[in-house]
Amino acid sequence: MSNENFRRELGHVFDEVAGSPSAALPDRVRSSLAVVPEQRGPFWIAGVAAAVIAAVIIGVLFVANPLNRPANSVGPGVGSSPTPSASPSPAASPSASPTSDSTLPPFVCASTAPITSAQAPAAAFIDDLRTGTHPGYDRLTVQFQNGLPASIELRPQSGATFTNSPKGDQVTLMGKNGILVILHGADVHTSYSGSTDIKTGYATLVEVRRMEDFEGVVQLGLGVSGAACYRAFVLTNPTRLVIDIQAS
Amino acid sequence: MLAAVMEQRPKLMVSAAAGDSDSFAVLIEPLLDPAYRLAAVMLADRSAAEDAVQEASIKAWRKFRQLRGDLKSLRPWFLSIVANECRMSRRQRWWSVIKVADVPSSQTSAEGGATSDLHQALLTLSPEERLPLVLHFYLDLPLDEVARALQVSPSAAKSRIYRAAKRLRSDLTLEEVF
Repeated sequence: MSNENFRRELGHVFDEVAGSPSAALPDRVRSSLAVVPEQRGPFWIAGVAAAVIAAVIIGVLFVANPLNRPANSVGPGVGSSPTPSASPSPAASPSASPTSDSTLPPFVCASTAPITSAQAPAAAFIDDLRTGTHPGYDRLTVQFQNGLPASIELRPQSGATFTNSPKGDQVTLMGKNGILVILHGADVHTSYSGSTDIKTGYATLVEVRRMEDFEGVVQLGLGVSGAACYRAFVLTNPTRLVIDIQAS
Repeated sequence: MLAAVMEQRPKLMVSAAAGDSDSFAVLIEPLLDPAYRLAAVMLADRSAAEDAVQEASIKAWRKFRQLRGDLKSLRPWFLSIVANECRMSRRQRWWSVIKVADVPSSQTSAEGGATSDLHQALLTLSPEERLPLVLHFYLDLPLDEVARALQVSPSAAKSRIYRAAKRLRSDLTLEEVF
């Protein structure tokens, strides 16, 4: 059945169900509008509410002092080691790394419990994907415009073949192994306009490719030349997920 | 009529935003017919559909200052309010759900003939599933307006349209739907 036939037949069915509105509907609506005043918000209440909310947020930030707290992490052993707040471009070059290795979580080679964010926005907008190479590891930084997504999960795998979603076809990246990064409650099309298939030219992390960006789920496939061992953690200001791939 | 209204819309929007209900009534008058059709398909009840459109018009008038965007935003914005009103209507009068379920059989018997497969399949869909189909196939809204009316991204709107259409005709391909 062609699109036009389907549309025509469906339109006929819709006509059967809906019929036509009564001729009096416009007058009915007009007369009801005439007796209902437009709602004018009590703006001063909104102003006071905004001021109270701002005061509460400032108070919470002051008490919690989040910039000095340990960063969230995916992977074991991170919560106990403080991670300093970072410079804006942690992966631009080896010298720009915002963290010292002693404070970072150890490398792992298996899936770990996903990191979740209770205060995640409806959709965390990825606004930058950066890669960098460092002694002992290569780094991918996923930067978010408006906060962490609801959950972040990393799944190392043997082989570098991933499923391209929602299309469903198989895509093989460069490298021998891979890591699938799954972000629920995120998108990489609203604020990001860069490449969605980054071939790094590095020795370890050789390719980063978007595998899904659909209905609030983003999946990134990482092609790794050696073993798929990684450490992952979150830094703030700006909010970003940092994934280091261990050099073999 | 529609073209004339379109030309006047900038002034009408200004005066409606200033509190002139007549201007607002003129603005939404061309939208009442599609709004009614949307409500009638969602509720499968013509009388309730007119009530929903009337109530949605009042709510739209009250919220008119919140309308953001250009003139193109008016139609999906208003239709999203109508759709919300239909949801509210179904929640408030839960027994109407039973009434809706009875509609196909009573119509069939009244007309003395079998309704088409497509008709029957449509009435098995939930109102939420019917909504994207009405917007896209019946009201001929472009995909971006469907997305704004559904308050989702264009890709999600496309997905919902396709999923609902596939429930009507399982053999449909994406190319046949769009």
